[in-house]
Amino acid sequence: MSFQGSQPVAIVATAQTQWRATWSQAQHIDLIAAAVQNALKGSGLDIRDVDFVIDSGSDVLDGRSISNCGFLGAMGAHHKEESRVEDDGLWAAQYGVAKIASGSAQVGLIIAYSKPSESDVSQYYRTMADPFIQRPVGLDEESACGLQAQRYLHAHQLTPADLAEVTVAAWRKASSNPTVELDQVPSVSQVLASPMVASPLTQAMMARPVDGAVVMVLANASVARRVTTAPVWVKGIGAAMDSSVFAMRDAQFDVCRQAAQRAYARAGLSAAQMDLAETSATSAAAELMTLEALGLAEPGKAIDLFRQGRDAGINASGGALPANPIMATGLVRLSEAAQALWGQRTSSAKNSRRAVVHASSGIAAQSHCVFVVEVERP
Amino acid sequence: MSRVAIIGVGQTHHQRRRADVNVPGLVREAAQRALADAKLEMSDIDSVVVASGPVLFAAVNQPEKWVVDALGARGKPVVRITSGGGTGFAGALGGYYQVAGGQADRVLVVAYDKLSEGALQASISSLYDPFWGREFAVGIMGFSAAYWRARMDKLGHTEEAAARVVVKNLSNARMNPYAHVRKTVTVDDVLKSAPLAWPIKLLDVPPISDGAAAVVLTREDLAAQHTNTPAFIRGIAYCAEADNAPQRSMLMSEPLAHAARVVYRASGITNPRRQFDVVELQEPYSCFELSYYESLGLCPPGGAAELIASGATEMGGDIPVNPSGGCQGANPIGAAGLIRLVEAAMQVTGRAGEHQVPGARLAAAQTGGGWANLRGLAVVSAD
Amino acid sequence: MHLAPDTVPLDLPPLQSTIALPYRLTPGKATGTFLAELAARRIVGTRCLRCQRVEVPAQDVCSCGHAELEFVAVSTVGTLQSYTRMPDKTLGLIRLDGCDCDLLHRLHGDHEWAVGQRLQACWSDSPQAQALDLLGFEPAGQGAMAGLAPAAFEASREPLDSMATELKLHYQHAAGPYYGRLFDEMRTSGRIMGIRCSHCQSTLLPPRELCDVCYERTGTWADVADTGVLQAFSIIHLKFIGQRRDPPYVYAEVILDGASTKIIHMLDGVDIEAAPARLKPGMRVKAVWKAERKGSLDDISHFELIDPI
Repeated sequence: MSFQGSQPVAIVATAQTQWRATWSQAQHIDLIAAAVQNALKGSGLDIRDVDFVIDSGSDVLDGRSISNCGFLGAMGAHHKEESRVEDDGLWAAQYGVAKIASGSAQVGLIIAYSKPSESDVSQYYRTMADPFIQRPVGLDEESACGLQAQRYLHAHQLTPADLAEVTVAAWRKASSNPTVELDQVPSVSQVLASPMVASPLTQAMMARPVDGAVVMVLANASVARRVTTAPVWVKGIGAAMDSSVFAMRDAQFDVCRQAAQRAYARAGLSAAQMDLAETSATSAAAELMTLEALGLAEPGKAIDLFRQGRDAGINASGGALPANPIMATGLVRLSEAAQALWGQRTSSAKNSRRAVVHASSGIAAQSHCVFVVEVERP
Repeated sequence: MSRVAIIGVGQTHHQRRRADVNVPGLVREAAQRALADAKLEMSDIDSVVVASGPVLFAAVNQPEKWVVDALGARGKPVVRITSGGGTGFAGALGGYYQVAGGQADRVLVVAYDKLSEGALQASISSLYDPFWGREFAVGIMGFSAAYWRARMDKLGHTEEAAARVVVKNLSNARMNPYAHVRKTVTVDDVLKSAPLAWPIKLLDVPPISDGAAAVVLTREDLAAQHTNTPAFIRGIAYCAEADNAPQRSMLMSEPLAHAARVVYRASGITNPRRQFDVVELQEPYSCFELSYYESLGLCPPGGAAELIASGATEMGGDIPVNPSGGCQGANPIGAAGLIRLVEAAMQVTGRAGEHQVPGARLAAAQTGGGWANLRGLAVVSAD
Repeated sequence: MHLAPDTVPLDLPPLQSTIALPYRLTPGKATGTFLAELAARRIVGTRCLRCQRVEVPAQDVCSCGHAELEFVAVSTVGTLQSYTRMPDKTLGLIRLDGCDCDLLHRLHGDHEWAVGQRLQACWSDSPQAQALDLLGFEPAGQGAMAGLAPAAFEASREPLDSMATELKLHYQHAAGPYYGRLFDEMRTSGRIMGIRCSHCQSTLLPPRELCDVCYERTGTWADVADTGVLQAFSIIHLKFIGQRRDPPYVYAEVILDGASTKIIHMLDGVDIEAAPARLKPGMRVKAVWKAERKGSLDDISHFELIDPI
């Protein structure tokens, strides 16, 4: 097989199931099947047009080894090339883009799903820590995020009230996102009063795990032009991973900065040119740190976006704090960005053209992936 | 037009248990060997793909995040790709597309498993649907044995034919410094060995191993900077089959046949038996090698017993299969699929030492995983 | 979500499932040394011979990417960089004197903590070659030996070369509407139902929304008999953790009459010695039900040959 150059790849369709604290009436395959069918419906494509499937999922969250193997039928992967990226769905999308860019395929499905309600989320994270030292000492998502947040607040003279403000902004935005099921938007004082998980983080400041599935349909230029008048082109991708030794990690998400710089450079664009940002995080502090690492604010200054009411284009979907499906979070961000660029989200600014999309994974965001996308309007 | 080249390969000396290194240490060893083979440092690598068997084989979730430090890959893109037993190959496939798709110029793919650390059969049971069948499952062995029994009647895959596979592969393994099973067995030894999941018997089963393998991939036009002996991937494909689809065939691996069609067409293979100089395939039990002879088109359906009996797939035959010893010689499951590719590359570049097939220039590397429903194939050539 | 006709979401309780697996892990040289030396009340790090970085706990590979390292005993006194209080414990990042990176560990005892505070190690009285032999760090006393440089290291004992551990993972799996109806019918009526693909008319068991092959929706529920064909079998002799029956027994794959997919189960009533020669794929089998049904594949105790051999 020979390939030539790197062909452009577009997002042509997407669908998400609703994100719920517990999808008590559905199995993984029911959610996956619903999302795939909805993504294809109205896309002008059907399953026979799909050349490959790349999926994201976690054996530990699913309670099943090689769980993708049991879900192939629902994914539409029967007699197709299929691979699993056992990381957040945005990394699966990166793989899918590479495959189409190589010219070896025209259309791919990227599928990510999760049912954290079925398992113990803290154990999902705790088992990532090395079993000899960090795990028995007590490194897990909460303790790591707590240390990270304490260091961040201390370095920039910020307070828990700032974290509460970010949290409330996220939940408020999510309340107008039809795909996120939630009861009520907390107030700042409610966020501050919720039980302390790992100081300075209260429970409400941690991302809420939710169940659901998301699908992106990627295509090459000739298919994209046939099926849509507004392809969302993937202009640049970057990724980078930090140390597994938490104490050796950079305090300011330097690997996220590196990933973003690679993505912007590939796209020939800069952070200032992004109209929208959709980012992942497991805590309110991590959200601020991420926005800074993506170049959307100076270090310590992301809070000003919220204080000064300049956060309309930041996580207009609500982002990850109100709805964190864990293995699918970054792909949901990509789906939200695409829908916003297609004008399908009333919350987003009109005439947005470009979005930066971010995923993170591992304990306290050890690894990051960044996409820069741009819609082409007729 | 350009192709993807393998410019460096490495593997550990596989063992029943490596007590001297942890998982990251094992992974580093294979990676360093592949880098040295390509005359590269880790700093030259743009991207890393890690492949390992199911997380529950060991006790660390998302282990690529643990091995990043030992690899010296902090700050680089690192991703883990999994596909059951076919993982090592699926990792290479992911790396292949990173190069072919222009996302990276030099990709390190490293695959491993440290099976000494866990309870293999018990963790394999968790593959199954917790609602429907998990309690009756007997790992991969139970159904593999059952399908073999079914193929006995229809295709003549006798216990004796499978025993010949074991004899051949263990004999070959003695010439492979990386394989750790060093015994010679006779057909009779195999037939008399204790049944585990009859017709699968003790000697039909590969060893449990700790081991890792790695490759460095780059574009054809960059290959010459690193090696005089690149191996080119002429074609590569992977195919999945829903595990409980209606009319799922036990007699033939449809996903493998499907992958083979795609790859043969892309690589100009019309007569695999005559065109390939060597084949490396991943046989989780001896019976699978017989089945793969047919699915790869080395012989017609029902011809596998005759093929193995003819000696054609032995070293010195006209289509040597598994000169490395295959899985019988060493089976760190998550790495096994990549080891096949590594061995294929070594063969076509004349660097397989004592298990070299003389003059080999064109090789097939096959892999498989899951419930025998994930299958991959690559064609590797010297030019 | 689409539901085939006559598929009603039922309020079945989720299936409780536990994956419990034992492990014997290899720590490797650096971690093995670090853990062993805690019993001697020593904190062991490594100095890189290339870049001179001193890192703790001891590493096999330096942050610079090279593996030429020497073990050093580092100061047990340092400065608090960051901390977090949790309901059951407090963790901190401590920069031990002379080290080039922080150490993550517990902060021990009921104290006020502050960034910049001087801390000293405190030790378990009964070390067991595990990380918490170092209980944690507490405020440094007046006599704490500060500023000790990392020192050349003489091992006082063998490094730890293996560590036993266990994963015990609990799950609550939702049945979903298709399995819900399947199990409800099995429990209440002893009836096995599959669902038909609207396109190829295959009957899928277990039932699901989409046909794997056609990717079309399933439509009609269909009865599946509790008799069928033994498609494949093997005779199990091996023992493994979590096995529900002592070997030997027959592992069976059965295509029930009316279904297009297989189920896996066990076959009883067969002479194990005679089975290899006499049992054949294609033979007819029937299910033997348990007296009390709960709504699962387990309601079928085993299968038997219809015509004994």
